[in-house]
Amino acid sequence: MRNSLIVSGSPHIHKQESVSRIMWTVVLSTIPAGIAGVIIFGLDALWVTLVAVIAAVLTETVFEIWTKKKITVMDGSAVITGILLAYNLPSNVPLWLPIVGAVFSISIGKQVFGGLGQNIFNPALVGRVFLMASWPKYMTTFVKPLSYDAITSATPLAALKEGKILEHISYLDLFLGKRGGCLGEVCILALLIGAAILLYKGYITWHIPATYILTTAVFVYIFGAKQLFQGDWLFHILSGGLILGAFFMATDYVATPLTVKGQVIFGIGCGLLTGIIRIWGGYPEGVSYAILMMNAATPFIDRYTKNRIYGTR
Amino acid sequence: MKGLIKEFTKGIIKENPTFVLALGLCPTLAVSVSVVNAIGMGVAATFVLLGSSVIISLVKDFIPNKIRIPCFIVIIATFVTVIELCLKAYSPVLNRALGIYVPLIVVNCIVLGRAEAFACKNNFLSALFDGLGMGVGFTLALIFISAIREILGSGQILGHTLIKGFEPVFVFGMPSGALLVIGLLLGLFNLIKNRKA
Amino acid sequence: MNIQEYLSIFISSVFIYNVILSRFLGLCPFVAISKNTRQAFAMSAAVTFVITASSVVTWLIYRFLLLPFNLAYLRTLSFVLVIAALVQLIEMVIRKTSPALYRAFGIYLTLITTNCAVLGAAVLNIDMFFVNGRAISGSFYYSLFQGFCMGLGYTLAMLIMSGIRERLELCNVPKPLRDFPLAFIIASVLSLSFMGFSGFKF
Repeated sequence: MRNSLIVSGSPHIHKQESVSRIMWTVVLSTIPAGIAGVIIFGLDALWVTLVAVIAAVLTETVFEIWTKKKITVMDGSAVITGILLAYNLPSNVPLWLPIVGAVFSISIGKQVFGGLGQNIFNPALVGRVFLMASWPKYMTTFVKPLSYDAITSATPLAALKEGKILEHISYLDLFLGKRGGCLGEVCILALLIGAAILLYKGYITWHIPATYILTTAVFVYIFGAKQLFQGDWLFHILSGGLILGAFFMATDYVATPLTVKGQVIFGIGCGLLTGIIRIWGGYPEGVSYAILMMNAATPFIDRYTKNRIYGTR
Repeated sequence: MKGLIKEFTKGIIKENPTFVLALGLCPTLAVSVSVVNAIGMGVAATFVLLGSSVIISLVKDFIPNKIRIPCFIVIIATFVTVIELCLKAYSPVLNRALGIYVPLIVVNCIVLGRAEAFACKNNFLSALFDGLGMGVGFTLALIFISAIREILGSGQILGHTLIKGFEPVFVFGMPSGALLVIGLLLGLFNLIKNRKA
Repeated sequence: MNIQEYLSIFISSVFIYNVILSRFLGLCPFVAISKNTRQAFAMSAAVTFVITASSVVTWLIYRFLLLPFNLAYLRTLSFVLVIAALVQLIEMVIRKTSPALYRAFGIYLTLITTNCAVLGAAVLNIDMFFVNGRAISGSFYYSLFQGFCMGLGYTLAMLIMSGIRERLELCNVPKPLRDFPLAFIIASVLSLSFMGFSGFKF
């Protein structure tokens, strides 16, 4: 008689999901932004991304061989870290820079904590801030978009920080990515396409991106100009790494709170910190630092937003 | 004599204050930006360690047990003040580089720790060699860490460029790099210790 | 009452030049005690209290005793004794007035005497708010506030650290890195993150 009594723990609803599937879908969702990056900045963008991904995968393999663990690179998480790190770099960086960054991201940002599922911080951002602190010159030199030449250009946020306004930049330009910036952050359209894929499949929820972007917008609206309530919030949303960060890095499963309430707090915190750094800090962009600081606060947020267990008061 | 040599050498490897006992990390991290500063702090700390260990071992029988810690602190603070004034007078550049960490030698866990754990329980000669050994061990650890940080963080050592065309990794000159280096070094030492065991 | 100055002290003491992550003061308890949030909070509260109190007392002693009598070189010695005495006094007062609080602090109160952060704060106040042997205007209030903010920064770093380390208890950290090494690596990443506030201009 066929054993029709399957004894297993709840829940019994079976989905076709696995870590691999999710990770590779996320990889897929970043491709539009990558294509946009190559169109806007040339083949350099492609090389930087490839090099970062290969370095990330190799580092993870070496680490896992050395610590005698199962090799998990095929689950796509190292690939994602490599891609996101590359997207946070200017397209014209020397190729050793993303290599060093990827090695740092995977080893210090992920493996020392025990690997996937155990990292406290978003690994790609750990790599980025390390690179920013170590080689600021390379990390803040950007090329002119759509010129395929080595003409440098300031990013809109950097220009704003110095008190100048870049001429001839319209909101549409910002939306399409016709501006200087990191290779994966400029084309808002492409990023939103990718984000839509993830939202549709339910791999990310709208809570963190929405609260993050909304908080930044409100904060910048209130404080972003010489007088109160005069800030150009649309400019701020479409500039810098906010969209990239809000949809792809602030939504990292592992490094963000578990409950909806916690996620909302996370989003608000990120938004406030981003706004504060953009308006009053020394750096023109604060997304990476904001997310990392909130990552650090996540264990705390989780502690105080625990869900009520059924049956207890 | 053999015993005394042992007191000296234990401070360098087996009971190295920085890597094994994890004491005195505050100044280690702050001062290890350059080898010159490291040597300066190491020498200053060794002076204080030596002086206070010796004096404490000599007067230990005259100090009532209940107030021994404040007494130790007074003795240590005296030596720290001496070195502070010497640095101010003879080496103002080094003094400025070491900053607040010179007066902080007085609460350096190594100094007070050795006083409490060793100097007040041993005779003059043992305390002398112990203090010397710990001081040397501390200085060597400082030099080691600062060499790493200086080479990686500025591509130079003691002011001389090592490899041409090397892009210095600025982060190692910053607090973050200091914490990273010490974390990785402590991990390395653990690894070696585990292998040996 | 210069709001800008106070805000600048707040931002720099708590975030940019965080007493633990940037000035490396108070590291011993930071790596040893930050594994448990309750302990971490107790230690931080005690430290904040002592730093603030000692900032006040050491300032007064420097201003009215050491400077007028040309005894500035006795700064280290007198400060350290004052802090030790202050801790003893606070211990006695808390013991009498609130035995529960005393029990909560436990041994941490005594340990604070050798905490670099307390002496460091006192020395920093003098270095920053006295010029050429004279107190700058508002020096007393700046010193008090800076001491308090350093305590806040200490608390922030300790709490974040304890939250993270409690979570890591459940993780599969590589063996050589467990405890101290990983604590330093985490502190390193925290320090990098806090750098986001550098160059702050209100």
